[in-house]
Amino acid sequence: MNLTSRQGRPGPRRLIAVGTASALALVLAGCGPSIGAGGTASKSVLAVPTDKSPRGTITIWDRPGDLYKVFDATIKEFNKKYPNIKVKHQAVNIDAKLQNTLITGTGVPDGVFLDDAKVGGYSKYLWNLRDVLKPYKADIAPQKIDVNTVKGGIYGVPFDLDPGLLFYNQTALKNAGINASAITSYDKLIAAAKKYQQFKPGSKPIHLEQSPFLGQLQLEMYASQLGTSLADNNGKLQLNSPEYTRILTWLDSVQKQGLGTRAEYLSPSDVGALDARNEVFVPWAIWFTFAPQQQLKATQGEWRAMPLPAWQAGGARSGAMGGSSFVLPKNGKNSQLAWLFYEFLMYNKAGYSAVYGPNEVYPGGLNTSIPAYQPAANPKRPLFQPIESMGGQDVWATATAAGKQIPGGAPIPSWWAGAVPYLGNNIQKMLDGQLTPRQVIDQSSKDIQSNLIARQ
Amino acid sequence: MTTLATSPAARLPRGPRRRRARILRNAFLLLLTGLFLAPVGWALLSAFKTPVDIIRDPLVFDPTGFTLENFLRVLRDVPIASGFLTTAIVLVLKGGMTLFFAPLAGFAFAKYEFRGKSVIFGAVLVTLMLPTIVLIIPLLLEMKELGWVDTYQALVLPGSVDAFAIFWMRQVISAVPDELLDAARVDGCSEFGIFWRVVLPVIRPGVAGLGVLTIMNIYNDFVWPVVIANSDRMATLQVVLSTLAQNITGNRIGADYATVTGELLAASSLALVPLLVLFIALQKQFIAGILAGSVKG
Amino acid sequence: MTMSTTLRARALPRARKGIFLTRTLAPYLFVLPFVAVFVAFSVYPLLFTLRLSFTNWRGIGPAEWVGLGNYSYLLTNAGFWQGLANSGALWLLIVPAQMVLAVIVAVLLNDMKLRLRGFYRVAFIVPFVTPLVAIAQIWIVLFDQNYGAINSVLGLIGIPPIGWLTTSAWAKPTLALLFLWKTTGFIVIILLSGLQAIDDTLYEAADLDGASRSRQLWSITVPLLRRTLLFSVVLQTLAVFQMFAEPFVVTQGGPYGSTTTAGLYLYDNITRADLGTGAANSFLLVILVLALSLGFVRLLRPKD
Repeated sequence: MNLTSRQGRPGPRRLIAVGTASALALVLAGCGPSIGAGGTASKSVLAVPTDKSPRGTITIWDRPGDLYKVFDATIKEFNKKYPNIKVKHQAVNIDAKLQNTLITGTGVPDGVFLDDAKVGGYSKYLWNLRDVLKPYKADIAPQKIDVNTVKGGIYGVPFDLDPGLLFYNQTALKNAGINASAITSYDKLIAAAKKYQQFKPGSKPIHLEQSPFLGQLQLEMYASQLGTSLADNNGKLQLNSPEYTRILTWLDSVQKQGLGTRAEYLSPSDVGALDARNEVFVPWAIWFTFAPQQQLKATQGEWRAMPLPAWQAGGARSGAMGGSSFVLPKNGKNSQLAWLFYEFLMYNKAGYSAVYGPNEVYPGGLNTSIPAYQPAANPKRPLFQPIESMGGQDVWATATAAGKQIPGGAPIPSWWAGAVPYLGNNIQKMLDGQLTPRQVIDQSSKDIQSNLIARQ
Repeated sequence: MTTLATSPAARLPRGPRRRRARILRNAFLLLLTGLFLAPVGWALLSAFKTPVDIIRDPLVFDPTGFTLENFLRVLRDVPIASGFLTTAIVLVLKGGMTLFFAPLAGFAFAKYEFRGKSVIFGAVLVTLMLPTIVLIIPLLLEMKELGWVDTYQALVLPGSVDAFAIFWMRQVISAVPDELLDAARVDGCSEFGIFWRVVLPVIRPGVAGLGVLTIMNIYNDFVWPVVIANSDRMATLQVVLSTLAQNITGNRIGADYATVTGELLAASSLALVPLLVLFIALQKQFIAGILAGSVKG
Repeated sequence: MTMSTTLRARALPRARKGIFLTRTLAPYLFVLPFVAVFVAFSVYPLLFTLRLSFTNWRGIGPAEWVGLGNYSYLLTNAGFWQGLANSGALWLLIVPAQMVLAVIVAVLLNDMKLRLRGFYRVAFIVPFVTPLVAIAQIWIVLFDQNYGAINSVLGLIGIPPIGWLTTSAWAKPTLALLFLWKTTGFIVIILLSGLQAIDDTLYEAADLDGASRSRQLWSITVPLLRRTLLFSVVLQTLAVFQMFAEPFVVTQGGPYGSTTTAGLYLYDNITRADLGTGAANSFLLVILVLALSLGFVRLLRPKD
């Protein structure tokens, strides 16, 4: 630095000038770390492993928590088949770490657990799994193939299918003289809610999600039921459609008629309303089963699950809400071995039984989702047990049957999560009475188009 | 250095009015500290409840139902012990650098005239104003070029000569009488010798205060460590905590929301305790350090 | 005062020839470690950010030069301005109230005869040392609309439940409260240091003149604490405009973006891998923060 040399003795002003000039020069000369590093692998389709006795070490990232423990326990099974593949299993804050790790290309894992909604956004860094998945593709739930597909390539190993179900408080409905099994359409759900409200004044029977993110996720469940999603295969926005108009109008009418409990999913407010039997219908993904098992107290044992109502006569009785897959970064060292790991877990009986069946973490099995692999999701061969705190209901049978009804043809655009400040917020504004369904569609379409699609 | 021969309290004339005012002041302070402590107390006590009870009855505390379940689970499943170790190593290295180099720079700014001083001091102030997140991505790429991702260098060096510390030390050292320095110079002391043998001993309380503050900052820093530490070995305590927290901040969709909340509260309590103990133990030095920052000249 | 030292020092006889040289060189050597770290870990990445801000780089593949495109996008984007407005509103909610509270507490704690002084000092600093992720959990539970402790207590005096975290009207004050609660202890400590510098004889004189304590606070303490207060205000201004972790863990910027601070908006750009826009946003934020502080900085800079 000039600053330390005694010869030049420039005044402060000149120093600033020199500093600015040299800074500018550095910028023009392109100083700074190189842009464009990381993920430079030229091939993009993962080749089918041919090694007869594969060996090596793979690094696998999972979310910390119970799911990590479930997968951790499966490694033992995996090593029975592949004794020479060592699995380094890490619990990682994936949202905080994955992007940075991929950008720097340092310490890149071989396999990562990822929300379906995020797969598209990372696809440039990931192996196209088209070839390795070929033998299984026909047996995987179409919805799960769609969500992992970007421009014809498949970028995730589908893990779980999360069918939407109608959770209802059986005891409360029985007391009110309502027959749940007769709720076959969304209009009938409104009628049942009105009837319940007459029986229990002050109650607001239907759950209306207040978190913008989960509200948008639930909107996609309804849309998935109608076989549509926010964007088509070419990434074209298709929010402005009769399907979305219909769903938003229905949500709006539930709110306008005072039939909805607006709360963030399982926040204390939500739990309170559920436990007070003021909220008795929850159209939600299968993972709501965790509420009666862990969070509800007064109404534990009263909850049951059934297929969602249909939007039209003969329409699908379920739609997908959420779900996760495994992705394999191109910069991973042993991607083929990681594929073998996921192939075993998802498509080998010993593997998927270890994941979903009874284990140390979940003595009754993992019952918050079902396998995306159809042969594993056999209604007659349950992997997880009937759920005690849901009156011993065989949720496996209900969920797998519902899962089969989920229509395909609903890809998730890479900008899905980025749409929450627009669409997710606008849904809430509609429920607040500030926007009409039409305005939600128009305004969100405009914002998504200019802020997300145009800036990709 | 004037000592505090006349404490502020000595100004109080006696009388019932003053006494009533004192009671009022104490009541006000007790109420306020109650508000400040209650949330943390809630977290500490809740850590002893079963996970399901934390979620179901957040405001009910039944000592007979207390359990160590959350703590045992944290110790078993979460690399918290190695988190403590990594944090301790970073504390020693990074804290050591700040505590040595910041007073040194503060000394230069307080007691020397040199060309470019205002420019360099401007740099100190700019550093103080630079939001951390602004630098995250470029710094990360720089670390990659250096091959420092997931190393102690990366955890320690950026931000190691803290700008706030320099600023504060400049204040503290300004108060050291110039006569002391001149006398040392006459005795043939070198410039560094003046810093080491004259200035440092005088400002020792100030450095102690800075020490406590530096420890707190480094201990609770998590934005940069989360980005740069990949392996469990390099995960500081706050990285471990934020990894735990990712399942529950945002969306309550994990099936293990309750268990993780319990683990998180237990882990946070474990993380809080050493800092609290340290602060209580060093409280006198810390406050003395603050006094040192304002010696009347 | 520093000035006079220098003059006096120049007049001293040189004991050794080396001394003058060393004395000229010494300050540069003393600030060298800082300068090195500054250049390596602030200037260099900043220059890189500047370059990035003119591209549409998304972390992979080649970067395309887009000129001022990112800047014009941000400056015409409602979300960017909302972030700034939110930060401004939070500043108004936090800083004035915090300064008043901190001055009062610091003055009270400065009383040597105060009982439990040690306890109070520790108590006020506890939130400052509590891990943020734990605080987020605490806030979510305490401020729940229907089952939180806050509304339960308010219910006792007949106030209907408030949607602290779920309505855009209340989310900002709730977040401000969190920040206030977390950082006031630290400001108290800074102010305590300033209070120690005030000459006690001033108060003695005021006592003799029969001035009340509150009058003394206003006419002696506050004016003499001006520099320290100014410093605290600058620190908190910087902290508020850089704030992102707090809203991120408690509200994720909601409801309706009412707690999306300037810092959180920037963070969202980065997590969307829109690094070019993120870099441009960084620069705009840096410029703003610099401009905000410039006035204060002049007052704090040592005289050349």
